[in-house]
Amino acid sequence: MIAQKRNTKVTIAEIFVILAALLFLAPFYFVIVNSLKPFGEILKNAASLPQVFAWSNYSKAIEKINFVKVLCNSLIITTISVFLLVIFGSMTSWWIVRHKSKLTTILFFAFVAAMITPFQSIMIPLMRVVTQLHFVNTHIGLIIVYMGYSTPFTVFLYHGFIKSVPLQLEEAALIDGCNTLQIFFHIVIPLIKSMTVTVLILQALLIWNDFLLPLLILSKKDLHTIPLAVFSFFGQYTNRWDYALATLVLGMLPIVIFFLLLQKYVVAGVRSGSVKG
Amino acid sequence: MKKVLLFVIILGAVASMCYASGQAEKGSEVKELNLFHFKVSQVEQWEEITEVYKNVVPTVNLNIETVGGAADWSTALKTKFAAGAGPDIFIVDGPALAKTFSEYLTDLSDEPWVEHVLESAKRPMVFDGKLMGMPFNIEGYGFIYNKAIFREAGVLKTPKTIDELRQAAEKIQNYGVTPFGNGYSEWWVIGMHLMNIPFASQPDPEEFSNALDSGKTTIVENEIFQSFKDLFDLTIQYGNKNPLTTDHNAQMSLFNTGQVAMVQQGNWKEVGIYEANPNAEVGIIPIPVNNDPDVSNRVPVGVPFYWVINNQSIVQDEAKQFLNWMVSSETGNRYLTDEFSYIPAFDNIKSNLLGGISNDLLTYAGEGKTIPWSFTTWHDGMYNEFAEHTQKYVAGKITYDEMLQDMQDSWVKLAK
Amino acid sequence: MTLVKKTGLTLLFIGPASIFFILIIAYPFFSGIYYSFTEWNGVNAKPIWVGMRNFIEIFKEDSQFFASFWFTVRFTVTTLILTNVLAFAFALILIQPIKSRGPLRTVFFLPNVIGGVLLGFIWRFILVNGFGTIGELTNLQVFMLPWLGSPETGFWGIVIVYTWRSVGYLMIIYIAHLLNIDTHLLEAAKIDGASSFGMFSKIILPLSMSAITVCLFLVLSWTFKSFDIVLSLTAGGPFRSTETVALNIYYEAFSYSNFGIGSAKSLIYFILVGGVTMLQVRFTKSREVEV
Repeated sequence: MIAQKRNTKVTIAEIFVILAALLFLAPFYFVIVNSLKPFGEILKNAASLPQVFAWSNYSKAIEKINFVKVLCNSLIITTISVFLLVIFGSMTSWWIVRHKSKLTTILFFAFVAAMITPFQSIMIPLMRVVTQLHFVNTHIGLIIVYMGYSTPFTVFLYHGFIKSVPLQLEEAALIDGCNTLQIFFHIVIPLIKSMTVTVLILQALLIWNDFLLPLLILSKKDLHTIPLAVFSFFGQYTNRWDYALATLVLGMLPIVIFFLLLQKYVVAGVRSGSVKG
Repeated sequence: MKKVLLFVIILGAVASMCYASGQAEKGSEVKELNLFHFKVSQVEQWEEITEVYKNVVPTVNLNIETVGGAADWSTALKTKFAAGAGPDIFIVDGPALAKTFSEYLTDLSDEPWVEHVLESAKRPMVFDGKLMGMPFNIEGYGFIYNKAIFREAGVLKTPKTIDELRQAAEKIQNYGVTPFGNGYSEWWVIGMHLMNIPFASQPDPEEFSNALDSGKTTIVENEIFQSFKDLFDLTIQYGNKNPLTTDHNAQMSLFNTGQVAMVQQGNWKEVGIYEANPNAEVGIIPIPVNNDPDVSNRVPVGVPFYWVINNQSIVQDEAKQFLNWMVSSETGNRYLTDEFSYIPAFDNIKSNLLGGISNDLLTYAGEGKTIPWSFTTWHDGMYNEFAEHTQKYVAGKITYDEMLQDMQDSWVKLAK
Repeated sequence: MTLVKKTGLTLLFIGPASIFFILIIAYPFFSGIYYSFTEWNGVNAKPIWVGMRNFIEIFKEDSQFFASFWFTVRFTVTTLILTNVLAFAFALILIQPIKSRGPLRTVFFLPNVIGGVLLGFIWRFILVNGFGTIGELTNLQVFMLPWLGSPETGFWGIVIVYTWRSVGYLMIIYIAHLLNIDTHLLEAAKIDGASSFGMFSKIILPLSMSAITVCLFLVLSWTFKSFDIVLSLTAGGPFRSTETVALNIYYEAFSYSNFGIGSAKSLIYFILVGGVTMLQVRFTKSREVEV
């Protein structure tokens, strides 16, 4: 399958993907170029390069939304949620795979079913729960909601992966006298670390970019996250594209850096994960 | 893997540090007053008001929540109420939404500011003789036009009827500029604002909509709706290419670059226009429905939103006190006129506007040449359906008569 | 292991995740079922019980709901095929020894870093303004179409955006999988004189079935409940021709203030889609080849 030498076919293919990649980058051109234009110029012509670089969009946006605070909020929520998701998600998945029973089968199917349910259909009942438990206007409340909301996808990813992890090591550890917890934390966790990186990236992306849940749960401005800040520039009849795009670029940076740092693990992660879907 | 762990730990540490720094202040004995609105362009001003109001009433702390249009503010509001966490003061955009929240509204009839509210601004929010909401301002829409293009194309008198508008459009077309920039992909431009015109131009719009409810009349047989075809066709015939792909942003960019001479929009676009061209020469003309200038030469003016007080709130008196302060104190008035650039809905507050669009609107209002915003009384979901039918007509999928019939069917369906 | 200990461990391992799941997803879902038998505007304190009326009304009078269903099915199938074919092709190319493959993988994954609603706004701008400008410059018919202004261009606009969004993610899964295929098998086939196409269809494709199962399910779960991108891209327009089921449910519950009917629609949707998904997983699983 893998060509041993470069040949013309491969070169043509390469040109094809490079062209496709340029197309894929077009929206980013629009975002970055317009984040550097004065508002009036965006309204006149949004496709052209900026005539004057309006770096002030960035400084103004940072000031208007209290960027440091908002960034911190996003960091707290994303880091804690993702960390807990990985722990609870991997424990649950491992148990489901290794201890097949009626209970675990039902649980797994419930998770899969949840992945196809549109959020809007549970939104109102969910908000009743959230209010009764006094989750409104707390970061912890939002994190707990993410724990419930993102568990299905986490378990789905881990489940396929753990199935492909050979049993022998765990059995050997059992004979050596390890208890279940020791087996899980000392043997299993290191074995599934590449999938853990995948889960980290994918869930971090979802939570970092999520808009609706923070909107519904966090009404106090000093609790807001980056997507809420971006949307604070969109009104009913007018959109302040200049500040919104600058905020968007600033908000994208941490997650892009995070992805670049972990990128090589992603391939390693899904690679073993998809062996036995 | 270690690098990853390290990264996560550092992130966590940074995050918890910023968290700790934000937890310092917390007051006591202060009542929280939660206020919900959708004017995202006013976030900073509302923050100032919060600060100022601390000095006026030290025992009340205003907590402002702003949800913008892109975020669909009414969904967020409904969800909060459904969850039992409604704000103390919030916004409704008209009587239809007020009816949805009818279980929660507080009677404001005895408030000191009531006597100063313009009669037309009061009427939509009176239920069973009780005034349930407080307006801040009035807004208007029509065809915003580029005065320079009109002048150079030889249109010297502002058109008052469909025929005059057609003559103007022909001149502008010959001059080499597209007359109309139609933003018909936007449901509120076509389904709500444009379709409001034939409704509100009825001799008695309220009676007309009651008659539709009871089946005494229909949209199909209505004269004004029939003559409105000429206006609708005129905008399409002399309009930009692909009106159904043009949203309000694209519409304004056509207008700001001088590619079109007119756009159907309102005074909320004024700030953006002057921001794009500080020397813009703009004004606004009515959208005619027929060739009778007495009927056609009127602009739709209405109240974009009303403040209402949640009757479940434990701080109702504080809420009333705050609303009254906004419209009776000098500071509050200054925010309405100078900071928000509003045309106030109160006869004791003078407006302070310079823009061409607002000035034209004030002139029409002063001469009594206005029609109401009937769409605020339409049943829930009506503008979605009207947008659907009118867009089909623009796309050429149905005839005008079929469109009227579909609108009639929607009305009957949603009225029950 | 004693029974007590086993129960304790079970609780420890699946307990926390299950509690969160029940609280945040399962309980709201089941109380949503209750609302589907009521008349409720979502705001009033007390929903009114109306029995089966909502369901009868949906089946008898609401043709738009089924139109949106049909749209969603067409959109899902098209996107399913397009994303998987493209992702597979990109994956096949990007495992070749070409210099640019590292940066290219990143580029294809990049669309995932922009959140849903905003993504729709940005693409709306590109399709409407950007395409128009390109059309004027190049005179190419494709770019001069009324993008998002007709049912057809609306449909393809949404397909393009979803494809753009999902291809990179699926590509990563396929790359990982292809790198895992035993090269000996392929070499053996080559010696036997198999053509490129033969190798692809006889060896690579069957061996990739498990990855395909995962990818098909992922795309299915994204597109079938697609909401935010469509909302900001077309909002279901023009004339509700690009309304997805999730959008239809949303409008019913929040714009028309019929939360009861909205809940009933969610239930119908859930039963239908749940069934289709089960069938799909079972079908592709049955064709998987153990490596």
